[in-house]
Amino acid sequence: MSSLERRSRWLLRAYSAWYRRGRGEEMLSTLLEASTPGRNWPSLRDTRALVIGGLRVRGWAWLLTMMWIAAGAVITGYIFYATTPNYISADVPGTGFIGFNAGPAAVQIVAVLALAVWIALFFPVLVGGLFRLRGWRRGGRLRAAGWAGALIAGYALLKLAQAWGNSASGVSWGELSICAAWLVLGAVMTWILAGPPRRSYVPDPTSRAGHEASRWPPGAGDLRT
Amino acid sequence: MREPTYFVLASLLDGPLHGYAIIQRTEKLSGGRVRLATGTLYTALNRLTAEGHVELVREEIVNGRARRSYGLTPPGASALRAEASRMAEAARLVTDHGRGLKAVPGARKASPA
Repeated sequence: MSSLERRSRWLLRAYSAWYRRGRGEEMLSTLLEASTPGRNWPSLRDTRALVIGGLRVRGWAWLLTMMWIAAGAVITGYIFYATTPNYISADVPGTGFIGFNAGPAAVQIVAVLALAVWIALFFPVLVGGLFRLRGWRRGGRLRAAGWAGALIAGYALLKLAQAWGNSASGVSWGELSICAAWLVLGAVMTWILAGPPRRSYVPDPTSRAGHEASRWPPGAGDLRT
Repeated sequence: MREPTYFVLASLLDGPLHGYAIIQRTEKLSGGRVRLATGTLYTALNRLTAEGHVELVREEIVNGRARRSYGLTPPGASALRAEASRMAEAARLVTDHGRGLKAVPGARKASPA
């Protein structure tokens, strides 16, 4: 496998797994054929188009979820950081008060922005996910319940991090485990969203039939009636 | 209809083509102006197939990989023709206007239609 092929294959991960199963090999051969001979890296144009194409397939719900997860990871990471000696300086001499160093301004700004993003995206992520999973239909209810559960778990994790951060004396390693738990939550939420959208615009490339039958996955078209 | 979509459909007028051939043909037809990236091509193909404008006609294995050829469907061909005549009409607005100017030297206003 050439390095160009390996990197192109890696780039194709911008698309969801179910999509790659149908289209991946075909897109890879087109990518390789269209590349100038002797190249080791996919071109910037190709990279950009694949990232945009992948985002279109994954959808808004996934993108918002990833932003929400990133914000949560930054916040819990920050709460952990706030318990470390970098953050808390020595007692203010002669007063008995604990002095706060509060770290570089950039860290503060990032933490405040992350909190704003986390709060702002909570309901969009909830609603976007329920919509994407077609939570009001019978077939989508289980996944919708899982989705709501994931958001409640996220809320609880953040509250727990705050509680631990406030009561801890010394470095609170529990905060770090919550930060890791956030990333696991992100993986779980990606997994819940992993299937193709119910009304997929992506056709089944193996189907020769016309318009009505060309929905992917097979049978997804039935839901429209 | 967006320009890449238009040229993808136009590239299939002479018969079915596979992915890379569509990229090459599109570039040639547009005089090198429309150079489709692979990701853009497949986004367009997905949509066109779902709309029934394009269909899979052949699947073969080349160098161990699936190579799929796509062809224009009758609805796709008529959508392409409709778009072509719409653009021709829009172009006439300007080209006829230019001729009117030539016919009346020194004229500042548009000649009445």
